[in-house]
Amino acid sequence: GCKFDAGQVQQVLEGALASTLGTMVYSPQGSAPLAQSLAELLRSQAKEVVPPRYKLVCHVLLGQQGQQSLLVASRALWDPESDSFASATFSNTSLFAVATVHGVYFE
Amino acid sequence: QMIFNADEAHNIVKECIESVLGKADYNHNKVNQWTAAIVEQSLTHLVKLGKTYKYIVTCAVMQRSGAGLHTASSCFWDTTTDASCTVRWENRTMNCIVNVFAVAIIL
Repeated sequence: GCKFDAGQVQQVLEGALASTLGTMVYSPQGSAPLAQSLAELLRSQAKEVVPPRYKLVCHVLLGQQGQQSLLVASRALWDPESDSFASATFSNTSLFAVATVHGVYFE
Repeated sequence: QMIFNADEAHNIVKECIESVLGKADYNHNKVNQWTAAIVEQSLTHLVKLGKTYKYIVTCAVMQRSGAGLHTASSCFWDTTTDASCTVRWENRTMNCIVNVFAVAIIL
């Protein structure tokens, strides 16, 4: 197909998060570079299942599992016919991650 | 106009966050409407700049409890025209991170 398949991208995100983070433990020094490399990994994996002519924005939040609450929201100004997004979350006893990929079609 | 002014966007977003979260304390029941208001107001103001861009705005609000949080993003786009800006804000009880991604529309 020529459209952004949100379901498929979500599956890719879920798989990548689970296999990369698995039983990892949160550490202040290690988590910053981990978040960056995760964003790059997810972006490149999403690119493989998304049709050509789509620009991608991949955003990752990685945090320490504690007693706090977190809410992530997003809005976009785009063309709802062609543009879309997918998101996935992962958590274990030490950390949590929220990943979102937005796909924007360009002529 | 095809140039995204990151400073301008930064100021716009910072004002939106201030007007919504201002001196409020973290409130689980209000977080939903707060994040929605921040992204909507930011998007509305960005659109008023009248530039030929599609925008994606994400907002994360987290309760401050000492836990660590990292955010990263990776984009597949045209680096000559597309750009992003991140605004970090906090008060005594919560952290807020807003990302604005501007993707050029080629007319």
